[in-house]
Amino acid sequence: MSAHDERRVNDPLDLKALPGQARPLEDEEELQGQGGPAADPQGRGRDESEKLDQYLLRRYHLHGDRKAREQLITMYLPLVRSLARRYASRGEHFDDLVQVGAIGLIKAIDRFDLSRGVELTTYATPNIVGEIKRYFRDKGWSVRVPRGLQELNIRLNKVIDELVPKLQRSPTISELAEAANATPEEVLEALETSQAYNSVSLQASPNGEGGEEDAGLIDYLGGEEEAYDTMEDRTTLAPGFAKLDKRERYILHLRFFEGLTQSQIAERVGISQMHVSRLIRRSLEKLREEIGELDSPEILRASGDDDR
Amino acid sequence: MTERINLEVPADPSALKTVLMIVAGLSARLDYSLDDLDDVRLAMDMLLNDALEFEELDTIAVEAEVADGWMKLSAGPFRSAELRRRVTVGREDCIDLCLLLRRTMDAVSVEGDDAAYTVVLERRPREASP
Repeated sequence: MSAHDERRVNDPLDLKALPGQARPLEDEEELQGQGGPAADPQGRGRDESEKLDQYLLRRYHLHGDRKAREQLITMYLPLVRSLARRYASRGEHFDDLVQVGAIGLIKAIDRFDLSRGVELTTYATPNIVGEIKRYFRDKGWSVRVPRGLQELNIRLNKVIDELVPKLQRSPTISELAEAANATPEEVLEALETSQAYNSVSLQASPNGEGGEEDAGLIDYLGGEEEAYDTMEDRTTLAPGFAKLDKRERYILHLRFFEGLTQSQIAERVGISQMHVSRLIRRSLEKLREEIGELDSPEILRASGDDDR
Repeated sequence: MTERINLEVPADPSALKTVLMIVAGLSARLDYSLDDLDDVRLAMDMLLNDALEFEELDTIAVEAEVADGWMKLSAGPFRSAELRRRVTVGREDCIDLCLLLRRTMDAVSVEGDDAAYTVVLERRPREASP
């Protein structure tokens, strides 16, 4: 190996030096699961990929190297395409979803905290999915809703997110109206039309609604909920609850067993209050459908009520 | 001064939206927070949908009374024993409609006998006033 070659190998930014690192991944098939470039089968081992990621992230965050940032974006675009493809069958253009997902990727790279010791893939995936879901939330209306109301609804989402921490409580309709430059009646109408939003798209898994493999904010929450175990036991016994996915049970648990308000749940889970509201309604509708088909006294017996 | 609004709507899911819109409007007039408003709306939504499921009704009557931040909603007349059981089960660990109503409303009661009863929901705003 010549001195020149040695220099190139020792400089991870010079990707052309290493065949396995030279080519940005072209397709999701090159990814292993959600491993992203870190699982590149083209010659880079996982450790090498992590080192390269860390090197590029350090170059960008510590030295302001924009090329390193661009390199990371290029390397991780296949991951964005992979995640966007999951949502492409829901009426939005694939290219649009890739663009939206790329915004999530860029945010992840920009906000990455070198001191936390997590892999970029781990950090970027929920950011990318979150951005795509936000796009659906803002754009995905299941029925025709007047554009003005759609826009007001989107505005309200932002206003609520701003007002809750500012007021330290849930805002009133009149406060929302003032902040959104609308009348209280318009706010009520907009909130009502938000029911028309196709919220399934926010929570559905790539391979079917409510699957466990979908990357959602709920999957990245830390900490154990003690009472949640009790709830889990009961949900296992109660057929209705068992039909709900993990995040739906978690949100219902927070609301009805822990007694948190929607705003508090929104803050804890990291989604908007309106989204919490929609999730609760949808979960309860599913529960009603399931429980309604069963003999309720039996459900209560199964949940242990007879022992009390 | 107490205001009273009486509604009678067809026992159809699409008609219930009108009731919910009025409930939301009343909550807004009382300056309820968005959380409080959504609680009341959710309670009414679930109660009326359960009523549609367990009752054979042509219409549902709803009466709303509001005064000084307090709201009382009465729905009926119902006859279903199952609906009554769901609303009135008093155990702390009930997991269906009674739990939801208990968490979202201040008071839940049933007035009348099995031949014709009314479910009464009461609520005051829970969060600190603006």
